[in-house]
Amino acid sequence: MTHPLYGLMAEFRSPDALMDAVKAAKRAGFTRLDAFSPFPLSDLAEELGVRTTVIPWIAFAAALIGAVIQYGSQYWMNAVDYPLNVGGRPLDSWPAFVPATLIVAILWAGAATLIGLLLILRLPRLHHPVFAVHGFERVSNDRFFLCILSDDPLFEPAATRNFLNALSPENVREVPACG
Amino acid sequence: MRKGAPFDLDAVRTHLATEEGARLWRSLEELSDAPEVRRYIEAEFPDIVQAASIDRRTLLRLMSASLALGGLAACNGSEAGKNAPLLSQSRNMPGYTPGVPLTVATSMPLNGYGRGVLVRTQEGRPIKVEGNPLHPASLGATDVFAQAEILSLYDPDRSDTPLQNGAPRSWEELTNFIRPVRNELVVGEGRGLHILMPPTSSPTLHRLMAQARQLFPFAQWHLFSPVDDDNRRIAATAVFGRDLDFVYDLTQADIIVTLGGDLFAEEPGHLRYAADYQTRRRMQDRPLPGLYAVEARLSLVGARADQRIPLRPRDFEDFVQVLAAALGVGSAPSSAPHPSVSKLADELRRAGARSIVVAGREQPARVHALVHAINARLGAFGTTIRAIDPVRPVSADTGTLVDLAEAIESGGVSRLVVLGGNPVYTAPADIDLASLVRRVPLSLHLGQHRDETAVVCQWHIPELHPLESWGDLRAFDGTVGLRQPVAMPLKPGLSQEEFLGLLAGQGPDGRALVQATWHEAWGEGFEERWARSLEGGVIEGSASPLVALTDRFDVAAELEARTNSAGIDVVFAPDPSVWDGSYANNGWLQELPKPLTKLVWGNAALIAPETAAIFGLSSGDAIDLTVEGRAIRAPVWILPGHAPGAVTLTLGYGRQRAGRIGNGIGFDAYAVRPSRQPWIASGEIRKPGERIPLISTQQHHSLQGRDIVRVVAPGQSAVGESPEHSSLYPEWPYEGHAWGMAIDLDACIGCNACVIACQAENNIAVVGPEEVAKGREMHWLRVDRYHAGDPANPGTYFQPVPCMHCEKAPCEVVCPVNATVHSSEGLNDMVYNRCIGTRTCSNNCPYKVRRFNFLDYQGTDYTASPDAMNPQVTVRDRGVMEKCTYCVQRIGAARADARVEDRPLRDGEVTTACQQSCPTQAIVFGDVNDPGSAVSRLKQSPRNYALLGNLNTKPRTTYLARVEPSRENG
Amino acid sequence: MSSEPQAVTSTVAEVPLSRRFGLIWWIALVVSGAFVLLLGYTLVSVTILGVGVWGVNIPFVWGFDLINYAWWIGIANGASLFAAILVLRRHDLRTSVNRFAEGVALFAVICAGIFPIFHLGRPWLFYWTFPYPATFQVWPQFRSTLTWDFWAISTHAIVTSLLWYVGLIPDLATLRDRARSKTAKRLYGVFALGWRGSVRHWAYHQRAYRLVAILVLPLILIMQSTVAFEFAVTLVPDWHETRQPLHFVATGLAQGLSIVLLVAVLLRWGLRLGHYIDEEDVDLLGKLVLASALVSGYLYLDEIASALLAGGLAQDATFKRITGDYAGLYWTAIVYSILIPQLFWLKAARQSTIAGIFVGVSIGTGIWFDRYSIIVGGLQTDYLPSISRTYSPTLPETGLFLGTVGLFAALLLLFVRFLPVVSMFEIRHDEHEENSS
Repeated sequence: MTHPLYGLMAEFRSPDALMDAVKAAKRAGFTRLDAFSPFPLSDLAEELGVRTTVIPWIAFAAALIGAVIQYGSQYWMNAVDYPLNVGGRPLDSWPAFVPATLIVAILWAGAATLIGLLLILRLPRLHHPVFAVHGFERVSNDRFFLCILSDDPLFEPAATRNFLNALSPENVREVPACG
Repeated sequence: MRKGAPFDLDAVRTHLATEEGARLWRSLEELSDAPEVRRYIEAEFPDIVQAASIDRRTLLRLMSASLALGGLAACNGSEAGKNAPLLSQSRNMPGYTPGVPLTVATSMPLNGYGRGVLVRTQEGRPIKVEGNPLHPASLGATDVFAQAEILSLYDPDRSDTPLQNGAPRSWEELTNFIRPVRNELVVGEGRGLHILMPPTSSPTLHRLMAQARQLFPFAQWHLFSPVDDDNRRIAATAVFGRDLDFVYDLTQADIIVTLGGDLFAEEPGHLRYAADYQTRRRMQDRPLPGLYAVEARLSLVGARADQRIPLRPRDFEDFVQVLAAALGVGSAPSSAPHPSVSKLADELRRAGARSIVVAGREQPARVHALVHAINARLGAFGTTIRAIDPVRPVSADTGTLVDLAEAIESGGVSRLVVLGGNPVYTAPADIDLASLVRRVPLSLHLGQHRDETAVVCQWHIPELHPLESWGDLRAFDGTVGLRQPVAMPLKPGLSQEEFLGLLAGQGPDGRALVQATWHEAWGEGFEERWARSLEGGVIEGSASPLVALTDRFDVAAELEARTNSAGIDVVFAPDPSVWDGSYANNGWLQELPKPLTKLVWGNAALIAPETAAIFGLSSGDAIDLTVEGRAIRAPVWILPGHAPGAVTLTLGYGRQRAGRIGNGIGFDAYAVRPSRQPWIASGEIRKPGERIPLISTQQHHSLQGRDIVRVVAPGQSAVGESPEHSSLYPEWPYEGHAWGMAIDLDACIGCNACVIACQAENNIAVVGPEEVAKGREMHWLRVDRYHAGDPANPGTYFQPVPCMHCEKAPCEVVCPVNATVHSSEGLNDMVYNRCIGTRTCSNNCPYKVRRFNFLDYQGTDYTASPDAMNPQVTVRDRGVMEKCTYCVQRIGAARADARVEDRPLRDGEVTTACQQSCPTQAIVFGDVNDPGSAVSRLKQSPRNYALLGNLNTKPRTTYLARVEPSRENG
Repeated sequence: MSSEPQAVTSTVAEVPLSRRFGLIWWIALVVSGAFVLLLGYTLVSVTILGVGVWGVNIPFVWGFDLINYAWWIGIANGASLFAAILVLRRHDLRTSVNRFAEGVALFAVICAGIFPIFHLGRPWLFYWTFPYPATFQVWPQFRSTLTWDFWAISTHAIVTSLLWYVGLIPDLATLRDRARSKTAKRLYGVFALGWRGSVRHWAYHQRAYRLVAILVLPLILIMQSTVAFEFAVTLVPDWHETRQPLHFVATGLAQGLSIVLLVAVLLRWGLRLGHYIDEEDVDLLGKLVLASALVSGYLYLDEIASALLAGGLAQDATFKRITGDYAGLYWTAIVYSILIPQLFWLKAARQSTIAGIFVGVSIGTGIWFDRYSIIVGGLQTDYLPSISRTYSPTLPETGLFLGTVGLFAALLLLFVRFLPVVSMFEIRHDEHEENSS
């Protein structure tokens, strides 16, 4: 083990096996865990303590900002910066300004959420240590992986490898850190 | 000039140029003694000189000949027609500042009569024609033809060079060809020379004709116009023993009866008559006048009449005879009198001298004679009718077109001069003028276009447009208006005056010729009076004096009664758009919806609904119409109110050589017009079962029970319990001016002058027949025409519809880019360069007055010359919306003037183009914030109402309801 | 083997990854490609010559341009709305239908977007509806329904495409991992953004996806109403009704559903995805189509009722549209969009491919005639009787419409060939649930 490790990766056949493995790892006190699966596993996410509540807040805040900016600009442009007598209507025809305000609020919410998502997930990231693991490509198909990262305080290559082997995975492989 | 001739002709000419009229001749005589002159003459006319010692008279004639023809060479148009900017030349004009339009008073001919106009020129280019308020035939108003002259002036198809058998020739070549011909004619004293020209009122032309007669005693003159007044002349001569013109004063009339014709559209004084009738209606102290129209085809006067009596043309004689009898003139015919005659007679008898009966020019001489008798019996002469010497006098020895035809047949014509007009096209069908002219050894045509006549004549000489040349014209009442050029000739040419001047040996200087005429007439104080007349456009006090009548009213019987053959009556009438065909190449007029049919780009055979039912015809079906064995195929148009058993054909279409615009449009009614009965013939109708597409801008005639055109009894209010609509929107304040318009439907006669005035003022594009057929005409102002009641004899209503300039404009709210917004003075502005062309504004306009440039309409064959454009108005691009602006450029100009003089705008200072052209002042524009303004006062009237007021768009343009006494007991 | 996740991935993934595309696909692509060329030609001609090459005039200032715009937007909105509802209800149908429902929506928006731009008198200035500091110093006029619509259509395009793409990422990863050729691997890899199936990522991904999918719901309602407002806010007697938005939303939904059904049936037949879009799915779709058709039917009755209530010119206008020169359009719409779908009362019809295609096409056609009838038939009645003209489409107009249809088909063909038409990870997920339960 001369070259540095990113972590150790155990491969499982089923989501339930992965679930048990994660529980075990946590019991063993490992904190720096990451799990990979071909489809979303909400309960496992909870187990790993993933909190996604920020998403709706992003949407809400963005919607609010979008709405304010849209109505504000409509008001400022038509009533303040360049006021014109248009069909004898009031300069601030607020009912006519509402539809666009709503639409743009949704635009901001939608765009912000999805773009925010990528930022949170640090995507795009085309190169990642886990991709180096032999057989990891099946994560997008029918295999489930648990990875204990090397920066875990309890991480100690040999011991951790034994621990993982104890969880009866398909196999345990090293995840080399990329220089 | 001849080489080796030691005689400087030009020097003489320049010397003579300063001389005029009588003085000219005196100086010629002095000259004739000079030996070098004799030598010159000998060189010029060797044959004559050696023939005999030439007497003084011949010598003078010969000299004038050479002088004159030398002059012809001068107008080779080297400097003219170059379109050189006239700025430098204009600078020398008194009171001219570059950029500021210059207004010139002049006179426009129509059928030989004059209408006074003011022409606005910009940097020397005429751009707009307005009426001359000082001129009795105009009073400031114009008709469609005067307005459209601008486009005719810039017509690219105008001929610009002399032609010999169709081949272009230089002016020198023309001179060299004509000089010997003329010399030989001079010697022969005009034997074999025939001159054909349209009747004219011009004193100068008449003076020159007299001069020419002196020079060519044996020359034969012929007068011909397709819109002739022969029947009137015959009747007048028979009744009063002399030719007379009759001037009507409708301001005096309580009862007006018209028999055919169209008092408001086809008489020489039609503008004046329309105005006078309206003046009479506006007299508060007297009851409304009664207007009765007995007519075959629905006319403008018929549409305005209180009662219309549709009558088959052949029944007019009996009708008038019965009417006359009822008034105690002559005896009634055996045939049963028309039901409404007695009522009419009572009305006339009641009104007495304050009544008037008028017969149209198409009516036979007997009708005219009877009408004279009736008017005399009523005492109308002197009150409502003034008899004056004929404005277009015809000397006894003058021939007609028929005479000319016979002369050519008999081979008596060796030299034919066609002086203006287009007789080959306008000649009646039974005179094959084309082949006749070809048989003449030498024929020469002076005309503005290389038209049907030009191509059959050996020589064609370009004629100047009336706006380019000097002349003078008498109006319907004899008042003389001077005609002065408002632009340098765009294309080289001669005017009739100049040509006759040359012929008569008076030189080619139009100005000098006209001045000579009036120098003779005025003698001393000429200069000052000349200047005043030029400035005012009319010669003061030149109206013809009243003529004392010596009458014998029993002559009606002597005049030949019409022989009623079987079949349908065929009435010929001048066309409201192209008159006799002379305006066929004018895009504005071609695209102008005809007042009653709303047809554009073509003519139709007008028939009554009843006739249509009998023959199983619908509008657009073709008929084969046969008159005296000659047939034409024409589309029919069902005109409500047309008399059954008759068909009306309008002249002026089906031209082959009008130009790029007028060729091959409509059918040629001349092709069946008999010379014996040029106005009312009888023919046969067959239905070939074919359809000929007609283009009309208004499909629906009925008001569909909506209160769009409101009609009230005198003194009644147009709005019931006026529903003051409440609005969610706060009032928008308009300090300063608030422009508004009122349109009086009681005054509007639907004459279309406003439509074409708007087109000229605002550079509105002509889009052509295909586009109009698609519903894309661009007129900012349209005149809607509605019929109400029995189609056999309906009420007819006209409604001019410009932009309403709504205060709560629906169009503005839906524009995404602020391209149409309100101005501080309440105008609904259209910002062309901001428009992206969504067309939503048009969707949201309940009046549909917005027009869209679907294609590049300023880049087509129909596009007017850039010179004709009004520089004050943007020429719109493809893809932008446009509409009536209340002539914002005129508002701006007036505001600028006021600011320069540091004073507020006066009421009436801003007039819109439509308002200015209107003969009946039906359109009034002004500041609605000023309670004293004319428009405010009109809007106070109980007759005032807003079109579609229930939509609460608060239009600035409102209408005044039409008044109909019949509504009282109805 | 269906419980074996392996199977899913292979069947669905095989389609994009296979080297041979099949003759039918090629023919279809060439044909639609030809129509795309036609589209280009008509657009160039109208830009050079002006909208005068169409049959439009005064008062028919709008013709095929707005008819087809409204129609395409209807499809887009209907499809999105449908997808959104499924996500909202976490319905099983979601897994199989969402992906291409969103695709249909996206492509329809692209087709729709062409018309508002090119129907302008001066198309090159369309961006003036966007508030940017112009040298004019003039801003857009925000009271105009057209500015509302500018925001609506751009929002719809942006949000739908984002949603669609983010939903695709995990499946792109699958394709990346299964791709045989290096180029395919690289290509899919780039677009997969390096997705590595981390459970944490999954959680955020699902949360965000659901949330935006639900946001689409109000967006669609507002947008479809905006399109309706473009007519309802004008004074045109037949258009000036508060019921217009409801009419557009409901008929639009029927239209969207019918297209989704059409595509679903075609996919089952063409790509042999019978297992993943199964009878129940199609049957349920059929029921929804039938229901929406019934709702449209109700709204047609409501139209007549409200016309009777309104009376006056509005009433005349509606009845003239139903009985006048353009009555044919109205009744065609009734037959195609209301009567024919009644076929789906029969289970057999709901599950038969032929019937599915037939009804799907017929509703699409019917709604097209409905838009035609509303716009042209509506404009024929005006306040002043003197305004009376006729409208008939010209060849360039028809060509433009066919062109957009070709574009839509071409996009759809490329989509089904290069991307997974059903969400593979969702299906894996569902099947895992089934197994575990």
